[in-house]
Order: sequence, then structure tokens, then C-alpha cells
Amino acid sequence: MKPYKLPSPSLSRVLARALSPATPTTPTQCDSAFPLKTVTTANFEPSLAELRRHVRSSDFVAIDLEMSGITSAPWRESFEFDRSDVRYLKVRDSATKFAIVQFGVCPFRWDSSNHSFVAYPHSFYVFPRQEHAGLGPCDEFLWQTTSMDFLAKYQFDFNACIHEGISYLSREQEREALRSLNSAHDSEWSDIYKLKDVRDMPLLSAADILFTARMKNKFRGWRDGLLHEQNLEDQIQGITGDSKFQEIFFEMHPALSLNGFTSHQLKLIQSVIRKQFKDLSYISVNSEASGLQHLVVYTDSKDELNLLLKKVKEENLGVEKMKIQGAVGLRHVIDLLSSEQKLIVGHNCFLDIAHVYSKFIGPLPGTPEEFVTSVNKCFPHIVDTKILLNTNFMLQEKMKRSRKSLAAAFTSFCPQIAAGSRTSYLGSLSHVKVDVEVDDVRSSSWNPGGKHAAGYDAFMTGCIFAQLCSDLGIDYKLHDSSKQLALDEKLQKYVNRLYLSWMHGDIIDLSTGNKVADSSPSHSLRKRYPTILFENIVIIWGFPSTLKAIEVRECISKVFGPTSIVSVFHLDATAVFVQFSKTELVSDFLLLKNTLERSDGALLVLHPLSKLLEGGNTCAVNYGTYKEICGSPLSECLFADQAKAVGIKWKTKLPEKVVLGAEEHENSSVRGNVNIAMEDVERTKQNTIDELRNAPSRRQVSPYGDEDSCVAEANL
Amino acid sequence: MASVFQLRRRFFCTSSSKWRVKQVTTSNFEESLQELKTHISSSDYVAVSMAKTGSPSPPSWLRPLPFDTAQTAYSKARRAAHRFQLLHFAVCPFSVSSSDKLLAHPYNFVLFPRDELKMGMPSYSFSCQTSLLASMARRGFDFNACVYNGISYLSRAQESAAKVRLGTALSSLPVVKSSSSPTVADTVFVERIRSRIKHWRKTFESSGTSTGRDEELINSLRNIVLGSEQFRSRPCMTIDVCSERQVQLILEMLLDHSDDLLPLLIPTKSGSIHAIRIVLVNSKEEKESLQRELQNFEEEESKKIRGFREVIDSISASQKPVICYNCLNDCTLIHSKFIAPLPPEVDEFVSTLRSVFPNVLDINYLMRKHGTMRKMTNIPSAISYLNSNFFAPVDLEIPDQATVKEGKIHGLNALRLGYLFMKLCSILKISPNVTDSGNKHLAPELEDFTNVFHPRSPPIQDSSNAADVGVWTNNARKISCEHLVFLWGFNLGMTAGMLKSLLRSSHNIFSREFDVKLVDKSCAIVVFWQPGVSEQFLDIMNSEEISGDLKELVSEGLRVTSYETYDRICRLGLWEMDLRESLERALESSYCDKEGNCERKSSEIHWYNDNVINLDDL
Repeated sequence: MKPYKLPSPSLSRVLARALSPATPTTPTQCDSAFPLKTVTTANFEPSLAELRRHVRSSDFVAIDLEMSGITSAPWRESFEFDRSDVRYLKVRDSATKFAIVQFGVCPFRWDSSNHSFVAYPHSFYVFPRQEHAGLGPCDEFLWQTTSMDFLAKYQFDFNACIHEGISYLSREQEREALRSLNSAHDSEWSDIYKLKDVRDMPLLSAADILFTARMKNKFRGWRDGLLHEQNLEDQIQGITGDSKFQEIFFEMHPALSLNGFTSHQLKLIQSVIRKQFKDLSYISVNSEASGLQHLVVYTDSKDELNLLLKKVKEENLGVEKMKIQGAVGLRHVIDLLSSEQKLIVGHNCFLDIAHVYSKFIGPLPGTPEEFVTSVNKCFPHIVDTKILLNTNFMLQEKMKRSRKSLAAAFTSFCPQIAAGSRTSYLGSLSHVKVDVEVDDVRSSSWNPGGKHAAGYDAFMTGCIFAQLCSDLGIDYKLHDSSKQLALDEKLQKYVNRLYLSWMHGDIIDLSTGNKVADSSPSHSLRKRYPTILFENIVIIWGFPSTLKAIEVRECISKVFGPTSIVSVFHLDATAVFVQFSKTELVSDFLLLKNTLERSDGALLVLHPLSKLLEGGNTCAVNYGTYKEICGSPLSECLFADQAKAVGIKWKTKLPEKVVLGAEEHENSSVRGNVNIAMEDVERTKQNTIDELRNAPSRRQVSPYGDEDSCVAEANL
Repeated sequence: MASVFQLRRRFFCTSSSKWRVKQVTTSNFEESLQELKTHISSSDYVAVSMAKTGSPSPPSWLRPLPFDTAQTAYSKARRAAHRFQLLHFAVCPFSVSSSDKLLAHPYNFVLFPRDELKMGMPSYSFSCQTSLLASMARRGFDFNACVYNGISYLSRAQESAAKVRLGTALSSLPVVKSSSSPTVADTVFVERIRSRIKHWRKTFESSGTSTGRDEELINSLRNIVLGSEQFRSRPCMTIDVCSERQVQLILEMLLDHSDDLLPLLIPTKSGSIHAIRIVLVNSKEEKESLQRELQNFEEEESKKIRGFREVIDSISASQKPVICYNCLNDCTLIHSKFIAPLPPEVDEFVSTLRSVFPNVLDINYLMRKHGTMRKMTNIPSAISYLNSNFFAPVDLEIPDQATVKEGKIHGLNALRLGYLFMKLCSILKISPNVTDSGNKHLAPELEDFTNVFHPRSPPIQDSSNAADVGVWTNNARKISCEHLVFLWGFNLGMTAGMLKSLLRSSHNIFSREFDVKLVDKSCAIVVFWQPGVSEQFLDIMNSEEISGDLKELVSEGLRVTSYETYDRICRLGLWEMDLRESLERALESSYCDKEGNCERKSSEIHWYNDNVINLDDL
């Protein structure tokens, strides 16, 4: 079988978008470019306020994302051999590793007076920076070289993104930050009552000792001055002559504000105050107005001090909370969409939704079912224009060719908008009219194309949706604006359904978590692949690099018969999927391989499989292990390396690569074990691994071997 | 020349903001490369400096730690080199004419790992640290220029892989007479091809004799009808083959016609050959010229493939000493991006690197020898420190200043390194060059600082600056890794001091001298100053008789392991965010790692007992 590889849907989407003739890559004379609101840190606050207004009054909101990449390794691209749960793991990997660099939001509102939609396209530049130490998204993310190149082709402004991209905190991160802040607050609070407990700084150098002595004198002088009014003049003179000390009143208490000391010096001062002065205390105040201030405050009594400290702590806590609030950033937009419960429209948006979830809600769950249920809680109504296009026969007809890329759909469904309304608008009644409003300026004509910014893509998606709805017979004129568009019965077949796997036509229902078969005409036409039985699949890697799929097939066919293999498919240069015709053949093959490798020499050399096992590094596993490898957070470039990194190192650990540890398998003939069920294989495998994990450490000869293994067991 | 003298400046104080560096992108790469090559060949040293898209920083344990051995430090550097990407590479060849005169030619190459060949090379994807990108942005790094016009490259290993896939590697396959005797099928195949070629040649011989216009027309018509092909305006024919054996047979057969037939192999995408193109030439001379032409074409093609690596190759070819700020960091990057993927063992890395750059000088290490410089963390602060504390004038001349546009100051670090090197040489009274019978070579004092790939190598005993010896020898206590124990599972938020007092009261083994330091927020390292105590401690932790407060702590989740587990996680690459996660993973899957056990070298590290690696640092 010829290696056949389809690019991942999102990539093909952008590529198709790129190649589409309808949207020229070089904008024609930009006298009136497509009106689009570009949002960076500089104008985020006012833009958010404005967006809030538009979203509230909107009928639906279209979204689109630009990411820093799609797949972290070539073997993570989507294959026809991906079961829907594996497909989800690949999407999860992509959404976790890559960053959103641009977020397009475009609310659409029906203007009944004009009989047209008004769209408000926004492009937010996004960059996952950490505004404050330890507060923000994960510090590391992945770029895919080809994606960067693609973005560059469409004049994406990387400088704007990195300089002025808006950061965010997910709901989970915010909760975590608040939790740790509160616990820190509590522990610090308790510290106040046992001040002496704090560790002392050893005075290391002569300079430190001199400095400490000088500070002691200064503070003593100032304190004495406060207590003995008569000397006030002189003492104040002594300390206020120094610009590093500023005498102030803090909460009605006399205090010295410390400026221009290094953090080391401040630590020394802190320890001097603590050790030498009962009525002075060192306080760090974090106020909104003046930032972080270091003060030495005089208090008359312990009670007074405690009261003061409590006040300061609370104030500091408030400021920290404000900081966390401020770091929420772009998530305000997501919270807005979520709280307004508006209909969200995307184009082939499963990956987009996964990104939104992982960036703004929390870590992605382990299974697609859990994921969609949690998504549904945040966004009760999502519609994918790709579902609308594919599952509706009428629309399918209209979209003559099978091109369903965003730009292609846009030009075929909204030709007048795609062309920019100025070019001789042949006002066919069936075409929905869309105006664009940016900064309260409304325009109904613009130059087509524009940049391939997320905002423009969101706009296109929204326009297509508006047109499709109208084609489905939804009459906006009769539509009651108070009624949710998402609840319209004509749309019920399409709302909350997303393509989990486009290739298999696996659709998942967000509200129930059930998988729905794609009954669309297009899908039945695309049924050119043989049905894939995942339990019949073996994944083989580590074989000689010159071996091709056809040779692998020949090799195995010689042993199990010409009809034993349905297909062989290259995962990448180092690995193949082999689909057998019968499930038993999987265990047969694994067993045979195991036996061959255990037997030394003669048998192996003459055996037809020897070609495949040459080099002694060939590994073979069933589909379950493949899923496990896909679920790993690691991403090595080659599948063989990935398997090794994930820890499937049976090569080094075990003489047998197929982990069938039970001795009776070895003795009995290969044919005799035909009936071993897959579950059995799985179970034995598990046990053996556990056994083996413990075993070697006992054999270790290193000085620490014994301790090591004991620790290992203690931890297991 | 006058302009050169006008541009000359004496730098007694920091005025590096006035220095200009030539910025190189795809648009001026070719010319700059030629220029640079001549500068390299006339220089004494080449300083290099680069910026990568990330580097582990506190509190991550993945940064280099004071208790790393050469191997664990290398494993960490290897991880970073594999993960992150270079966005610019500054090169500054410079020569030293007298003791304080420096002639420098600074360049800054803007890089982007663009996939020019659509093969997922040089890098399919790479990691970025947002904080690092943001700080690069603050310093005015132009990311658009980088992505749009950055120069791409392939490593040596990638180039050969690409050539196999492009098929260019095979076109000059040498013909060797095969030893196996031909089978009947072989003979039949050869004869059939031989007659095809003969027949094909005949048509050209006959057409070659007459040159009438009609003939020409008929010929061209015949060409169209017969579908004969042309290769670089010479007639050629293509023979499809289906195995390597057939290729071999055809090439052997053509040896008999070596005067006027030139075989060219046409590869498929996967690297195998699917056809042979036979080109008819008039004479042996013409054949040779065609071969040369093709070779040049190939050379041009591979130049495009190599891209920026040409710079690395020319530095390597010059065999000049290379100066960098952090040898281990920079050289692992160079190795992984421009030579080949990094090997797992540090020794292997050092030996391949030596074959590329025989002498690499670590300036950071040279500064540490000069004891008072140990707190300097970056090049500019080191320069300003030297400028304000020492009188060591360096006369810097940058002849190409005039050609550089204003405001382009990126990639200054390579130039600064050269400057810093001169200053240090002058302060330490080392002559940068020793001329021995007309050949310049490295001063013996400097050789101690070359090829140092361990960031915390033992300090040099014979310091030229007698006052600084004390700082070094008193603060570093040499201890064996066997004295170290990793400890985790205590309450988060505990300080080392709290942990120490907790341990001290938990068991009487802690009555002996020991120290505790936090590695990251969740894991600490305990050092026992007396030999054998760590083993005892590990025994106690694993024994049944564990009792008292220690038992309570273990029940609460306290775990320990030896240094060996740490060594293993670095070797196996079990890089989790928290050290304790990695350690536990290593213990869970403690399969015997034979390679790891067979040889244990350099298991001694230096425990600095001073502020440098104090709690603030760890």
C-alpha cells in the first residue's frame, strides 16, 4: 500500500485558505483595507469594554485562532489509522504544547432596520507572557517551523505578538494562584506572632558587620529622638540628612521609609531591627499607589503592633489579589462569551475549542467524552460551519466541488461579501447582507482579501454561517431577537456537533458526549478506505531503515499467508501499522516474533521474518500501546525515538520484545497459542512489566544498588 | 584609510553602545560570507556568541547546578540544545597585533530554521521560553526580520540525510566491478540494454553526417515522434531500472563506452534509483567538462542546503581558536545544530567537537580564575567591572564600521568577548599569541582554559594572582557524590533551615556534620561531610527498624535516594518539571542500565561553602 498521508485538518484548512484564488495573497491597493480592530496590550481595556457591549447585543459570535503550530512531530499528524480516542490525544497534545498567537472574535448582530447583519471583527494578539513572577501560563511553548513560515507569508507581525501580545490566566491557574496566595498569607500571618523564629543572617564580611553597626546606631538615634522630645531636633537632623531615610507617618505611627538599599542590606536591617529593638518593626507594604515600600515603624505596644501588622497584611493581600485579577487578561473575552451563553460559530473548530479550553479553562481531560462535557458546561451552544456544510444535502449540492476550506466556502456562499460589496452588488435576495463596524464607523464596502488575520477568518466564518442559516430557511426578519438563534429548531441537527475525526467522519455530540456517525452524503462518497479494525493492528518499529512497507507485507505474508494482511501503512520512516485480516493473527504474530527472538541463531536466520527482525531492535505492539505512546507528553521527532523515550524499552530490558513472560508460551508451539485472547496478552504484559521493573535493581552491582532497590520498592 | 583612523577609538570606559555590528540576513549572506572567510583566515581568534530561545532558569532544577558532574551537566546542556533554537549567531574574528591592539570584524547572522527543502529540517518544531522572548523583544530584537529573512541551515548529518533523499549523493557513485558472476537473467538484461543503446547511438551518428536544413527538420520531428530527450542540450536516453543490481550491471557495461557516454542516476524521493539517464557526448573532453559542470551545480545546490553552516565550516576549516563565554552551552548548541545530534556521553561529545574546533576557550572560566570576577553573570557587566577596577587599555579597531547602518547593535557579545579576552590577557599578563618560528599558536597559559566542558571544574591551583587563591581553595570542599543524598516529600514551603532542624531532631545520625540545601521547591540535597554516613542514612531509611520522628516523617511521605538516581535521570532524560517527579519515575522504572553501571567517572564534585551557591542561588 502506498504511504498515504493527509495533512491535519487545521493545516489543510489554512493551506487551502492560502491557496484559494478567491483571496489573493497580495492585497490590492489598500486604499480601504478590510476594517478590522487589532487589539494589543496598548488598547486592550477599552476594546474589551466595547466588545462586551457588542457581544451582549449579538445574535452569534464567530471565532478563529492562529496557533504557533499544529503537530509537535510528524507522526502526530492525523492518520486514517487513528481511532477517535487517539485522534483526541493528538489534538490534546497539540493544544497543550502550542500557543495561541492570535485570537479572532467577531460578534454578528441582526440590524432589523437595515435588514442586514453588522459584524464587529476583532483580532487579539496573544502572547503567553508571565506578567509577574510565577503568575501566568506555562513559561515554555512550542513553535512549528512551517507554521511560523506560513504566518510570515501572510505578514503576521511577530514583533507585535511578542511585544504587545495579551497574556492570560486560565480559570484553573487563577484558582491556584489565589489558593497559594491565601495559604502564604495564612502562614505569614502566623509568623508574625513568633518573630524570633525567623532565621538569622550570618554576618559574613567585615562590610556587613560595619553596616549593621551603623544601622543600629541610626535607628537607635531615631528611636531615642522620638522618646526624648528635647533632642528631637538633633536626631532628626542626623537621620534625615541621609536621603535613604525619609521620615513619614504610617497609619498614625512615626516611621522611616527606606529607599535605595539593596535587598541584602534590607535583610541586614531587618535582622538588626528584630534583634535590637522591641518597639521598632520592619514592614514591607505593597500599596497600589506607591508600590513596594520598606518601612521601619515605631509602635508603643505589642497590641498596637499586631493591629498594625494585621492591617498591612490585609492590604498586601489585596494588592496581590489585584495583580492576579490583572493577569486574567484575555480570558475576560472567554469569560464574556461563556457568561453571555451566546452561540459560538467556528469552522472545523475542534482543535480551536481544545486550545480555548486548555489556555483559558484548565488542563485538557484524558478522554474526548470528559472533554466535551466540560466544554458544554462553559459554552452551551457551539456550531461548526463544516458540519453544516457536510451534513446538509442541500448545501452539499450548492458547494459543487468537495472543497470545504474556509475561503472556498466563503467565496461560494457569500460572493458579494468576498468581493467587497462595492464591486457591483447584484443584490440577489437570497444573499444575506453584512456590514462591518469598527470603532463606531460602519462600512459596507472594502477591498477584498485583507490579511489572513484571525479576525478576518472569524468574519468569514460568521458570514458563511449567516448565509447557511438563511439557506436553511431561517428568516432573520421574523426572528425574535430575544430568542436564542441556537435554539431554532432548524438548526438543532447541527448545534453542538463537532468533527472529532474528519477522516472517519466521527462526530461527537457536545451535549451528550456520544459519538454520532457521519451520515452525510459527502462521507459516504469518501468511503474509499477499507473499514479499519483497530484490534487487528500491530505497530512495528525499529526495523532496518531500508525496509519498505511492501517488503514488510511480503515478509509477513510469507509466514501467515497472502491474505493475512489487509494493509501496511508507514507511520513515519521508522514505524509501520500492519492491519491483519483476523484478530488472532495479532497475537500469533507477536508470539512468533517473541519465540524467534528467544531462539538463538539458526532458526532466526532461515525464517522469513528475519528480514524484519534484522538488527535486533525491532519492536512490535498492539493498538493499545500505540495509544499509550500518543498519550505521552513527550514528542520526539521519530516514532521509534518516541517509543523509546516513553519508556517502552523492552529491547534493553527483556530479551523478548513482545512481553509475554509466561514460560509455557515459550515451550508450546506457536500455532498452539492461536486462541489467546487479546485481553490475556494485555494482562500478562502488565504483570511482566511490573515484575521486571523490580527485578533488575536487585541485581545491581553498584554501591548503592541495594539501597536503591529498597527505595524503589518502598515507592512503588 | 583615513576613515579607519577616524573611527579608531580608545575604550577606557564603557562605550560599547557606539560599537556597530554588521547584520547579516538572507539578502546579504553571500557577500558577507565571502568577506567573513577572508577575515577568519587572517585572524588569530574567532569569538562566537549566540542567543537561544530558552534556557532553564531558577527555580527549575534543569539549570546547571553546583553539584552536577561533567556528565549530568552535559546531559542538561544536551537537553537544552535539542529543545531550543538559535535565532542569531554572532561571529567576530579578530587579530592581535601588539599586546593591546585588537582588530575585529564583528558580524551578526540572523537565523531561522526555515524548512527550505520541505523535509522537516533543520527543525520540525522548537521550544520557546516566553520570558526569554519577551526580554529579547525588550532589547529590540526584530522577530519579523528573523522569521522573514533569517538564514536557514542544515547540520552535517542533516545534509547527508537530505542528499540521500534528494538523490544528489548518488549521482557520482563510483563503479566497482562486482565480484558475483552474472546470471543468465543478468546477461540477457545487459545484452538487451546494450543493443538499445547501440540502436539509439546509431540514429545520432547517421544524423550527424548530414547537416541539411531538411535533415534538421526531420531530426527534430523524429525527436518529437520518438520522444527522445535532451539533457543540457545533449541527446540522452532514459533506461528504467528496478533494482540496485540492474544499476550496477548498466554502469559496468557502460565502462566499455566510457569515452562518449555519461551515465547519470535518477533517484526517487525515497533515495533509491528508478532510472539511469545516459547522455551522449562528443568527446572525452566534453564529457569531463560536463561532469565538472554537474559537480559545480551540485556544489551550488549544497551550498544552498548548508546555508549558515558555511560559517561554522569555515571557522572549523581555519582551525583557529574559538572563544566563547560558556563552552558547554555554546558548543553543545553548535554540535547539535550544525554537526550532528548530540551523543549521550560527554566524552564522545568532546572528542567529536575537538575534531571540529581543536581549541575552544572558555572566557567565563578564565574570569573565574581571576578570582574576584566570580560574581559576574554576563559579558557587559564583566566588562564594566574590569573597566572600573583595572587599568588595562585595549586599542580596539573595527574597520568595517562605516558600512554598518546606525542603530544596529545586535550581536555585540562576540565583539565584547574579544575585547574582554584582550583585557583579561592584559590583566593576567598572558600574551595572547606566542610566535614560534613564524607560526602563531596559543600561549601555554591559555591552554589550561581550552576545551573545558565542565562548568564547575576544579579551580586551578597555581593562580598568578596570589591573593585570590584563598577565595577559591577555602570555599570549595571537594566531596564525593557518594556523600550526597536527595530528599523529598517534605512540606512545600519549607526552607533549608527548617528542614535541617527538622532532620536534626529526627534521628541521631544527624548529630554528625551535615548540610541541607534546596534544589527546587520540592526537593533538597543533604550532604554528609563524613564518609560512610550517607550509606548509613540510606540503610536506616530502608530498614524495618526505622523509628521515632524519622519514621513519622517517612510515613508522611519523606523519600530519599542516592546521587546515582540523579545521575540516571539525567542520562535517561527523565526531565520532569519537579525533580522529585523525575526521581520517583527513575525509581519506579529502575531497570538496570548496564551502560550506566559499567563505568563511573568523574564522580567528584565541588561543594562550595560560600555565598555563591547559597540558598539564594539554589
